Amino acid sequence: MQFWQILIDGFAISSLYALGATGFTLIFGVTGVLNLSHGAIMVAAAVAAWAASGEWGAGSYVAALFGVLVALVLALATYYLIVRRLQLSRAVREEEKEIFILTATLLWGIMIQEAIAYLFTNNAKTVLPIVDGVVRILGVRTPANEIFTAVVCWATIGILWLFVNKTLAGKAVLAASMNPRGVTLVGIELKTVYVGVWAIYGVLAGVAGILLGMFLGVSSYSAGPLTASAFSIVVLGGLGSVSGSLIAAYVVGYLETLTAYLVSPAYRSIPALLLLVAVMYVRPRGLLGRR
Amino acid sequence: MSAPAAKLEVTSLQKRFGGLIAVKDVSFSVRAGEILGLIGPNGSGKSTVMKSILGVERPDSGSVRVDGQEVAGWPPHRIARLGVGMVFQHSRPLHRQTVLENILLGLLPDRLLDLLPRAATEARGRAIADRVGLASVLDRRPGTLPFADLRKIEIAKAIASDPHVVLIDEPFAGLTARETASFAKLIIEMRDDGRAILIVDHNVKSMSALVDRVYAMNVGEKIAEGTVAEVMANETVRRVYLGGALETAARPETSFADAQTPFLEIENVSVVYGKAQALENVSLHVHKGEFVAVVGLNGAGKTTLFNAVSGLVPYTGDIRRQGQAMRGLSAAAIARGGIVQSPEGRELFGLMTVRENLDMGGHGLSDKDRTERQEWLFDLFPRLKERQSQTAATLSGGEQQMLTIARALMMKPELLILDEPTLGLAPVIMEQISKAMERLRQTTDITVLLGEQNVTFALPHADRVYVLEHGRIVWEGEPSRFAAEAGAQYL
Amino acid sequence: MVVRALFSPPVLISLVVLLLAATLPLYVSGYVLGLLTIAYYFGVFSMAWDLLFGFANEVNFGPSFLIGLGAYTAGILDSLYQPPIALCIAAGVLASMIGGLVLALPALRVRGPYFGLTTLVAVLMLQNFVVVAAGLTGGEIGLTIPDVISINDKVNYWIALGFMGVSGAILYGLTRSPVGLILQASGQDPVQAGALGFNVTKHKLAAFLVSAFFSGLAGALMAFYLGAASVGTFIDVTVGVQVIIGAVLGGRRTILGAVLGAVFLVALGESLRPLGDLATFIVSAVALVVVLFFPAGLLGMVKGVREAT
Repeated sequence: MQFWQILIDGFAISSLYALGATGFTLIFGVTGVLNLSHGAIMVAAAVAAWAASGEWGAGSYVAALFGVLVALVLALATYYLIVRRLQLSRAVREEEKEIFILTATLLWGIMIQEAIAYLFTNNAKTVLPIVDGVVRILGVRTPANEIFTAVVCWATIGILWLFVNKTLAGKAVLAASMNPRGVTLVGIELKTVYVGVWAIYGVLAGVAGILLGMFLGVSSYSAGPLTASAFSIVVLGGLGSVSGSLIAAYVVGYLETLTAYLVSPAYRSIPALLLLVAVMYVRPRGLLGRR
Repeated sequence: MSAPAAKLEVTSLQKRFGGLIAVKDVSFSVRAGEILGLIGPNGSGKSTVMKSILGVERPDSGSVRVDGQEVAGWPPHRIARLGVGMVFQHSRPLHRQTVLENILLGLLPDRLLDLLPRAATEARGRAIADRVGLASVLDRRPGTLPFADLRKIEIAKAIASDPHVVLIDEPFAGLTARETASFAKLIIEMRDDGRAILIVDHNVKSMSALVDRVYAMNVGEKIAEGTVAEVMANETVRRVYLGGALETAARPETSFADAQTPFLEIENVSVVYGKAQALENVSLHVHKGEFVAVVGLNGAGKTTLFNAVSGLVPYTGDIRRQGQAMRGLSAAAIARGGIVQSPEGRELFGLMTVRENLDMGGHGLSDKDRTERQEWLFDLFPRLKERQSQTAATLSGGEQQMLTIARALMMKPELLILDEPTLGLAPVIMEQISKAMERLRQTTDITVLLGEQNVTFALPHADRVYVLEHGRIVWEGEPSRFAAEAGAQYL
Repeated sequence: MVVRALFSPPVLISLVVLLLAATLPLYVSGYVLGLLTIAYYFGVFSMAWDLLFGFANEVNFGPSFLIGLGAYTAGILDSLYQPPIALCIAAGVLASMIGGLVLALPALRVRGPYFGLTTLVAVLMLQNFVVVAAGLTGGEIGLTIPDVISINDKVNYWIALGFMGVSGAILYGLTRSPVGLILQASGQDPVQAGALGFNVTKHKLAAFLVSAFFSGLAGALMAFYLGAASVGTFIDVTVGVQVIIGAVLGGRRTILGAVLGAVFLVALGESLRPLGDLATFIVSAVALVVVLFFPAGLLGMVKGVREAT
């Protein structure tokens, strides 16, 4: 019985991790930026949705849309105000740009987090679920919301896959992750590709954040751990490899669920961290890493 | 009396990188008080030989002996401490330190606890600075100094540790005639000190006055060895550098319709990278339908020139297309507008298949156009058709080059810029590319700007030739007159 | 050159500032002294970070790993066995140096973003460990440290000031010494450093250990000053960010600037405290503005002006 429960819960949480990690890895793979404000953007989306339905009385669909919009705006702001500014800056040497961008996105994330705490308090909030009720699967009583979460995650990832592999714009994004100079040489403006990627990232982070908000709830304190788990997964799977992130998300998701059920919820993040350390020592490239 | 033992002895050196044999059976020696010139075009393996001596690369087989001691496989700092000094091609001073401090680096022992600076060390540093001519700028920072002084810092650092063997990489790149002369003097002084000196460069001309002997390489192997005169007269060497007796099929300049306003005009273009002048007042023009070759050794500035045309680097001067200035257009816009580059670095999408790479090139075309164009390209490059579902990264060098050119052609360019299309390729592949270019010339009205150091490849296709050297155009004319007039300069 | 370095403007100015600072307890409130004490310890954290970043060119994105190791080891030892404080501190320093070694070994083998990630992961690990092993470490609530070095504001202040002064002198002196020159070369251009005969790995490892030494020592001392250790004060990523920002604000590669930055940040944070939650927001915003628009930092800007003339 517990086995099925672990299987299902693990699947739901892993799917959520997968979506979050996919966005994180997309940004890194295409633009080379490790966006440390990732968790904050996710939380902002969730809180925005919560505020929309809770305080302003919007329906759950509209609220969710609003949340995604907020994430989109924040993602684009991250690109224009921070990443682009630093990439073009002449005051910072090339070798140092990475650390500066890293630090700047971290600070930006803290700012977003604190703004949320200030405006909406740092209490945990649950976003109004779009789907409710309980369903029986394999003898386990599972909230329909959980199924919904997994379905939406995979649908989103599926749409992303279709986009990248079947549309020109998507292929341009893929090409940019392989060779930005090549993209310019075939006459596609890199700047447009980058704006597009950050916009897609915003949507991915927004959806992930809202689903998380519906499933488990968020608070402004969640921002840091969310970023940490996203990049742990991405490093584990291999920086820049989306399929690696997907696999790693499931590894981490199931490790956490197993630990929470079989050992104790307090220790849930330990095995994944240990795995990460092992990977860093033995194979820093990660499972399927390219860079 | 036996000859003095060699200070540097390289024997049967071999190094592969994956499937590519970079160095094959290279052997030479340099004695104390001797200067050996190691020459070869890009891809000849001379850099790998140098790195193997320095310890940056580990040879697969063969030996490298310094003062009789086998050093192959040692870490670089150990080899350096044994008495090998290196003057790098690009000046890399510590920007936040003064000139004196930079030189002192060459004098310091590799100790963790060297906490107090010693007066004696400083005095030696000053003496060395004096010797190379930097005495007046000792307290200044490299950022404020002219290019020639930065090169002097490199020499000072290299000889500060009193090495028995000195390697110098392209000593005169970027220097004026006068600076070159004073550098040459410094190098001769180093030799007279009893050091063994290995100069690595692209051609004999730059060091003909300095070297005692020359070792010429191409495609990883030795092609000639001997005195300067002997090597310059060597058949193979001449063929590699000058192309030997070539058939040319140049169309006279007057046969092109746009005589008044050539399709592409480059006027007084200069490009500066940091301190180094990459291009200096370069002017050239290309008529619609013409094939123009820009011939020059590596580092001459061909890529910089093409990047300026493609909008990838900032420049001063004018570049006009059909009379219209191109300044201000984004690089992607220039490419979309019909001036397309097949770059030296190829810049393919490694994880995409051949077809997908071509599709990216043809993204602006209708589906029908794109398929048609692909078919035409597969006809031009049958190898690519065979490999169309393979990912670009798994193709051989020659196939990648073909794909690069094909992808550029997918964009229906009016002007195709080809940057070093034959770099590192086997003669067989070069043949195929050459044939494809011939077909292009015969069957289409495409305009081509070709940059090559391989004269054998470039000349038969060209209507006109420019020679680029150290960022300046030094010769312009018909290919048939190249060997006679420019050849001596070039080799 | 030594003589010149001893009396160079930065050193002279620093000496004057130190002397002035030493007189503060005579006329400044205990509250301000307490703030400055913390600021001085953060100054040492930032200086140690600057040594690694500005000179060895290694970005330690989790300085709080080393700091936390020092603080917690010293604190745990004291809360368990109450040995002499000096012993606890020594243990803390040792733990931090071992941690530095453990961090340096994989870090020196990898390139690019991986090193930064390794250091971040280390912080997470330590944080998780502290929370999970709550019995030993006090978990999220924090650890109470029974002994303190002194309960007198002024004494604590002078200890911190003196410690910072000596640390600064050592670190600054290191960077101006021949070894410092070698370290800079190793950081800026490892290939050339190797060609000049320097074992780059050896020097970078040494830099790590020195950075760990000072981080751990300052961490342990600060723990004994506060009489408590918690994740929020020593290990959290925000602590690391504060350390880094302090160094960047003050001017990287100056060592001395790090102190300026640290003091400024503490002062700013404190002055904004009445705003509650908004305080962190504003400090982060200011720090972000500095990173984006004044990356050279305060001292860096001054140096830039001097070098250009």
